[in-house]
Amino acid sequence: MLHAKIIDVTKEKIDLAKAQKFIASSKCGASIYFVGTVRDQNNDKKVTGITYDSHDALVIKSFKEIYKQAETKFKFSNIAVFIEHIKGYVALGETSIIIAVACKHRSQAYEFSRYVIEEIKKRTPIWKKEHYEGEDSKWLKGNPLIDQNQLK
Amino acid sequence: MKIKLELFGASRDFSNKDYLEFNLKEKSSIKDLRTEILNFVENKFKGNSNYKKLVQSSAFCSEENNIVSDEYKITKEQNIGIIPPIGGG
Repeated sequence: MLHAKIIDVTKEKIDLAKAQKFIASSKCGASIYFVGTVRDQNNDKKVTGITYDSHDALVIKSFKEIYKQAETKFKFSNIAVFIEHIKGYVALGETSIIIAVACKHRSQAYEFSRYVIEEIKKRTPIWKKEHYEGEDSKWLKGNPLIDQNQLK
Repeated sequence: MKIKLELFGASRDFSNKDYLEFNLKEKSSIKDLRTEILNFVENKFKGNSNYKKLVQSSAFCSEENNIVSDEYKITKEQNIGIIPPIGGG
């Protein structure tokens, strides 16, 4: 069971309570909540906030693929997964992503949750523009989705 | 054939709008589109090397929301997304 959504900060808020409600089940004995927040430093620069950009349709497609692949890889039964990612400006300390996973056992929940966030980092089309104190904002370098060798 | 290139991430710096428009010949491919964008960077941003690298390392997304290769033939007027290197979370 999967819930996947992009939250446009100009329209709604990301909310941990929604994740708790979605994954709640008496079939599951373990729940993991991964919450990504904006931290105050990156590469020795004082960060004041991050603007997230996303290709919404591809992001949702990617979340669904990651979930399906994790299901196939781990073969756990009775899983509930909630993934929401922010789009727009997020201030220091505020939440950018919530991944909530409920499984039968704790080892399963840890494994599944870790897999989901690592795969999102590798392949989900979301971009960050960092804002700094006293310096120009900057798009962060990321992971190319194409094989550079094919262009040679 | 008119192609509307939807901008994402760092490529948003290419324009004040959310997109760029290119006129491509019939039976053009993503490779041809990439070349057109590189020409645009050459002309508008005096060949800014960071922007060129960005274009060279970007993937492209079809109107059907598939990541497509350089060989992909653009057979109709459509929106295509440029997908620079990603990194959310």
